[in-house]
Amino acid sequence: MPPFEKPQNSLPFKQRKSLATRKQEVAGIRTKFPTKIPVIIERYQREKYLPPLDKTKFLVPQELSMTQFVTIIRNRMSLMQSQAFYLLIDNSGLASMSLTMAEVYKDHKDDDGFLYMTYASQEMFGHCVEMQKLYVIAGCVASAFGRPVD
Amino acid sequence: MNSVSPSGVQYVGRGGVGVVAQDDPLQGEESQRALQPPGGDPGGGSSFGNQQPPDGGRLKETTTAGEPDEVDKLKAKLMSAWNNVKYGWAVKSKTTFNKTSPVIVMGNSYPLSCEDEVELFRQAFVSRLWLTYRREFPQLEGSMWTTDCGWGCMLRSGQMLLAQGLLMHLLPQDWSWPEAQELADVDFEALRPRSPSRAGGVPIPSFGYSSSPRIPTTPQRASASAGRGQRNRPESCKDRQSDLIHRRLVAWFGDVPLAPFGVHKLVELGRSSGKKAGDWYGPSVVAHILQRAVSQTSEVQNIAVYVAQDCTVYKGDVVHLCSVSGLEASGPGWKSVIILVPVRLGGEALNTAYIKCVKNILDLKCCIGIMGGKPKHSLFFIGCQDEQLLYLDPHYCQAVVDVTQDNFPLESFHCSSPRKMPFSRMDPSCTIGFYAKTKEDFEFLCRDVSKALSSTIEKYPIFTFVEGKSQDYGLVGHSSAHLQSDPSPSPTQILPLGRLSNSNDRSSSDEFVFL
Repeated sequence: MPPFEKPQNSLPFKQRKSLATRKQEVAGIRTKFPTKIPVIIERYQREKYLPPLDKTKFLVPQELSMTQFVTIIRNRMSLMQSQAFYLLIDNSGLASMSLTMAEVYKDHKDDDGFLYMTYASQEMFGHCVEMQKLYVIAGCVASAFGRPVD
Repeated sequence: MNSVSPSGVQYVGRGGVGVVAQDDPLQGEESQRALQPPGGDPGGGSSFGNQQPPDGGRLKETTTAGEPDEVDKLKAKLMSAWNNVKYGWAVKSKTTFNKTSPVIVMGNSYPLSCEDEVELFRQAFVSRLWLTYRREFPQLEGSMWTTDCGWGCMLRSGQMLLAQGLLMHLLPQDWSWPEAQELADVDFEALRPRSPSRAGGVPIPSFGYSSSPRIPTTPQRASASAGRGQRNRPESCKDRQSDLIHRRLVAWFGDVPLAPFGVHKLVELGRSSGKKAGDWYGPSVVAHILQRAVSQTSEVQNIAVYVAQDCTVYKGDVVHLCSVSGLEASGPGWKSVIILVPVRLGGEALNTAYIKCVKNILDLKCCIGIMGGKPKHSLFFIGCQDEQLLYLDPHYCQAVVDVTQDNFPLESFHCSSPRKMPFSRMDPSCTIGFYAKTKEDFEFLCRDVSKALSSTIEKYPIFTFVEGKSQDYGLVGHSSAHLQSDPSPSPTQILPLGRLSNSNDRSSSDEFVFL
């Protein structure tokens, strides 16, 4: 497994731009396209399996369902259908797939007017030896001198 | 400390010396070589997700015959101790069950205030199939691995989930293993409801009696034994048949290349997902592997596995999968189905809004458990009590059992030490499993699960059932030949979905991407 890829924009969108700038951007685009929803999609900061997206800011038709939206993003990343891909709203909750973007936007839009989503796959499971190294050494020494390990 | 697993006590205590590696210096030493790369740094520095020893796996060494000398003995001792602590077993502790609130196991509730219920809980817990790390099995094809210790835990959790589905499929609903062991390392205590600050925290120290598996004389134990005595009935034909099915089911998960759901087969089927022996697996990958394994075997009849796509169960797709066409319809015309739903219940940590929902799901009779874990440590969740999850832990390295032998020992495939961990430590990545025997059961399942999902604080359910097939929703399978590890994004791929971006607008819209 290669080490973490350093994303080009290491700071999240929210931290790259001030609230005023972001508000301005939303106001500008909403005037031009009142029926489109401004969405920020970023990779979960500890994501190791999904590729980075080339763009962050999306304008999405409000009647699009979450299912369709996820499919579009999946296709942009050339993911196989069986590969785990989740869009987390505000980095915590899953959006129900049958909702439209307008519904999600209504409930979850940020103060700046953007809808924030994070994409992530699933974690992999295996034993992390590092964490218990000290423990291990202690156990080995204790055992070597005849004491039970427990 | 909740990671402590079923200790060797149950085996040693039952006279099974030799079952556990640590009892045999030679065995212990050899097995350790399989687990650990030579040299002091098994973690391989900061590498993640690939704990493969630098030599690519186990190198068989020829050991000289004869008595091991003192140095060897010491070495073996060190190695087995290492083995012991490496997977978090070293600290033995008791699991405390609150007698004043019910414990849920696979949708059944056991109010532990009553001793008969404790006995039923024991039967329910110990009768689940427990599949753990194994060592010294036939080499995995295309690798040097002869063990899955350290990397195969998610595969094992997946096996346990499938095993539970197959138990439901093949055995009577009230089946329990007649030879189920007594519970070990547990306390049952009347606890007051915990204050929020303690909820999900460390187990409250026990002041009551503590029952040791070696001294089966406590009141609980005595009554449990009595209860078991009453249950002893002359072995009927049905029982014998159940025993045979039970044994056959365990054998399907044996660590031999021919077993339809053994590690060998699952690793082989994981290749198309870009996984190989020694890799770490995730709950979604394993769900797809199980789906392939069941569809490829002819050993198990009339059952199919459906894996939900993007947190959605398309009922039309399930119906299509389960409908048996005219020619092969010798049975009921409907295959039973195991539904697997891979989800991610939060970013870094479990979104606490989903805890109630997970509890509701575990409380359903159609739920066959959740393969998940705590970070980096896969567990198979089979129930809950208060703010804690009840689990079976695969992180216990046992010697391989030759399941091709008649009357192979079944003890190591069942666990007698129930363990719990707080919901707050649950990793958000998991796969939830359900089983429906008949078409009618499937309808009930959709209804019950939807209800369980919607009665939560979180506004949106974690997954949904929808009518129709996935293709009705414009989900054309992306049959890309790209491997999942392909890191290059394809900026040119935007689905032409209805009205697309107007190129005149684009210039004036900064860097927005129009969908």
